[in-house]
Amino acid sequence: MFKRLVNYRDLLIVFIWREFTIKYRQTALGLLWAIFQPLSMMLLFTFIFGIVLKHKLSDYPYVLFFYSGILPWSFFSSSVNFGINSLVNQRSLITKIYFPREIIPISGLAVSFIDFCISFLIYVLFLKIYGIHFTKNMVWFIPLLGMLIIFSMSISLLFSALNVYYRDVKLLSSFLLQLWFFATPIFYSVDKVSMKFKLILFLNPLTFIVENMRRVTLEGRGVIFWQLCFELLMISLFYIFSYRLFLTVERKMADII
Amino acid sequence: MSQEEIIVMQDVWKKYSKSVRSYHTLREDIVNTFKKKYNSDSLKRDEFWVLKDFNLNVKKGESIGLYGPNGCGKSTILKLIARVTYPDNGTIKVNGKVAPLIEIGAGFHPDLTGRENIFMNGTILGMSIREIKKKLDQIIDFSGIRDFIDMPVKKYSSGMYLRLAFSVAIHSNADIYLFDEILAVGDEEFRKKCYDAIEVFRTQKRTMLVVSHNYESLKKYTDKILEFGI
Repeated sequence: MFKRLVNYRDLLIVFIWREFTIKYRQTALGLLWAIFQPLSMMLLFTFIFGIVLKHKLSDYPYVLFFYSGILPWSFFSSSVNFGINSLVNQRSLITKIYFPREIIPISGLAVSFIDFCISFLIYVLFLKIYGIHFTKNMVWFIPLLGMLIIFSMSISLLFSALNVYYRDVKLLSSFLLQLWFFATPIFYSVDKVSMKFKLILFLNPLTFIVENMRRVTLEGRGVIFWQLCFELLMISLFYIFSYRLFLTVERKMADII
Repeated sequence: MSQEEIIVMQDVWKKYSKSVRSYHTLREDIVNTFKKKYNSDSLKRDEFWVLKDFNLNVKKGESIGLYGPNGCGKSTILKLIARVTYPDNGTIKVNGKVAPLIEIGAGFHPDLTGRENIFMNGTILGMSIREIKKKLDQIIDFSGIRDFIDMPVKKYSSGMYLRLAFSVAIHSNADIYLFDEILAVGDEEFRKKCYDAIEVFRTQKRTMLVVSHNYESLKKYTDKILEFGI
């Protein structure tokens, strides 16, 4: 895949630039949208859990606790949301001219990543405001982010390719993402869950990623190394499967889409 | 394949399905993900052959016209050469960069301006960003719509779309150009410009495949016409 993208790198650049431009053209708020969405979600959760339910979730301020979960989730859900329909939306191009099709979902992923970077800066700002100490363990955030990107990419490739065959995927997606949101420890922490359910929750790779992103930034603890290796292996295998399926579907895409 | 030959299609078979649903093939696809070779010689229900044992040799610099009724497989041939779709059987060798002249607007995004769309369309046709920057003025001049170049193309007329699309395509520096009944929309003046450009291509020894229902113009602008029956 890497080689294919390098050969078509200018096309990829133009596609990313295009998606980015289209997304924020004719909007009044522009890039502020990237901050607005995670911020408003965080405030809502803070209001519900802090004021309405008066429920103590962790020893950390609600603002940080929720934001640290929403940050990776927003990236995942927006890139998958874009990906699912992306190939079908580009039908007129796909039936006329060849280029590596993965460029289409990946350009959406890249735009989500730009949004992620902006909201990440806000996160750093929050960490500073609440006086969290910056520790060496925060370096773990980088491999975790890498895993988040690979996993989001796999899901995007898989769903976009399946959607070429079954439009069910599109209908399923908003529902599925909603379930997925609750299955990921965004407004709760896995720490408080019993061992039996913990194992079930960890079947979702996002559980590991989100939980540990929170752990390394807020709590200053490290990641357990063998767990990281195991998750990384699982995610890589899943990626290989998704990409191979994508390539097989690609050959027939123009005939079926 | 000799040096001269730029496109060789050998015993090409291609089938399509009439069925609305195509997901029975997904099951095959998942199985095929882990296999190397397909076996797809026979027709299943609702399938029909578009191309049966089709052969074509095109030499470098030749321009070929494809003429025939709708649905006889002309566009399928162009799609096969452009690697958009693959044959069920047989081999296709293409020795060079292919520039299909895409259907009007397909490579354009309505919210982007004409200038922005030149970059988009150009890179789709395999040009590098640097190459497009260098040729930008030429492309705009040829299209003849400089006054509207910074306007979103959703406000363009279909003729303006075509002018820009054609202008990008002929500046894309490909070895093989595929024209699929595209010149029907432009006005008299622009059509003449296009035919002049095609003339220049021929003197430059570029290879062209032209699909058209206008037999006269095919005779004038191509070396050889392939006629199709059903």
